[in-house]
Amino acid sequence: MILQSTTPDTFAFMVLGYAVILGTMALYILSIFLRDRRIDHETRLVEALETEEQNK
Amino acid sequence: MFAIVWKDMAAELRSRELLGAMLVFALLVILIFNFALELSLRTMETVTAGVLWVTFTFAGTLGLNRSMSIEKDRGCLDGLLLAPVDRSALYFGKALGNLIFMFIVEAIVLPIFSMLYGVNLFNPMLLVVILLGSLGYVAVGTLLASMAVQARTRDVLLPILLFPIVLPIVVAAVKASNGILQGFAMAEIWPWLNIMIAYDVIFVAVAFMVFDYVVEE
Amino acid sequence: MDPMPKTLKALSWLTGALLIAALYMVWIYAPREAVMGDVQRVFYFHVAVGWVGMLAFLATAAAGVIYLLRGELRWDRLALSSVEIGVVFILVNIVTGSIWARAVWGTWWTWDPRLVTATIMELIYVAYLMLRQGIDDPNRRARFGAVYGIFGFISVPITFLSIRLLRTIHPVVFGGESTVDGSFNMEPEMLQAFMFSLLTFTFVFVTLLWHRFRLQTRTEQLEQRKMSALSE
Repeated sequence: MILQSTTPDTFAFMVLGYAVILGTMALYILSIFLRDRRIDHETRLVEALETEEQNK
Repeated sequence: MFAIVWKDMAAELRSRELLGAMLVFALLVILIFNFALELSLRTMETVTAGVLWVTFTFAGTLGLNRSMSIEKDRGCLDGLLLAPVDRSALYFGKALGNLIFMFIVEAIVLPIFSMLYGVNLFNPMLLVVILLGSLGYVAVGTLLASMAVQARTRDVLLPILLFPIVLPIVVAAVKASNGILQGFAMAEIWPWLNIMIAYDVIFVAVAFMVFDYVVEE
Repeated sequence: MDPMPKTLKALSWLTGALLIAALYMVWIYAPREAVMGDVQRVFYFHVAVGWVGMLAFLATAAAGVIYLLRGELRWDRLALSSVEIGVVFILVNIVTGSIWARAVWGTWWTWDPRLVTATIMELIYVAYLMLRQGIDDPNRRARFGAVYGIFGFISVPITFLSIRLLRTIHPVVFGGESTVDGSFNMEPEMLQAFMFSLLTFTFVFVTLLWHRFRLQTRTEQLEQRKMSALSE
């Protein structure tokens, strides 16, 4: 490190770092989205069940 | 409060299952370390403190888990909760009981350890370190164990909950013990002692404040 | 079905825009650091991500205290949502730190106080999630979660102090001695990019927390409806 005249090429490490950050964030957002959608789906099922129950 | 300590002692005197298990376990840990690290006289000095504290930590977990499981299984906890005593007295009673068990195990392990490894561990400063370390460990351990035994996965849960939280006091205890055994100047040992004292004060106070919520039904 | 609140929608778009602006700042606007090269750019988001983790665990402890005082389950939902975000972000923080260390220190891992403390913190909150999994009664789960969240949050700074007594090699960004490998003086553009990243990720945290909290609330509402539908 000391008396180093040229800047080392660490571009690949930067790409890797940002891939990890953005990739993990994207995965996490996707997981929230998927869980949210499943709730939507199941809520509709329960609603259908409830109306069926009332019509009897 | 002392009634609870007394109850634990009396029960233990009759069955002797807790202390026996802790002691045998502690000795096994020491033996395994001996073979795993192939301790020679030269490397011994630097690792003794570490081996000692790992032994206490593991044996302590075993004891804590057992002592709280017994309460839970026999329904003693519910009985104690019905009794007209302050909840905090309950916490201090259990913690004191666990601390005494811990001290008994340590009192038996120390001379054996000294003999097996040829180091003299009966140094008053070292005893102070052991006192401070055990206090913080048991203060946190009693509280977390009473949570762990109420969960489904209780046998595996306690070490997972306990170890990351007690890490600072174990690190400080190992460093302080090591400094004392190697004969360092007190100026180098004090920072570790300060951490231990701070840890003890903070966690005894917090555990005391939140124990109500742990046993509440 | 409850539609997503307008404010949350707007906030999400704003956060997305801020994130893109932050990426521009750290990739293009900030100059390349002369000694370390491009990998230094990881630092902006590395710190910001760690900041989110700390905020998340602080929020968990705070929500735990409020829950214990008031006994309202929504504070527990907030605490759980926050822990999940914290665990994800501290993991990213550790991994990016490791990548940076490989480039600058030449090793993936050293037993430096900050690395160890971050790892212990991660373990504490993974333990938190395991504790919750083992308990079925919602009120007891909430109480234990709150207690453990408070314990964990108190022990982290002590862990840091105790390990720090062993010498550190992690660069100190502000007001530290810059003798260790990997320290650097920030150009004004770098400082701007850094501050902007912190601001952006504060927004990221609030937005994610809100979404996750909403998800938790809906999950629990659905559970209740299922139960009542079955019991009829």
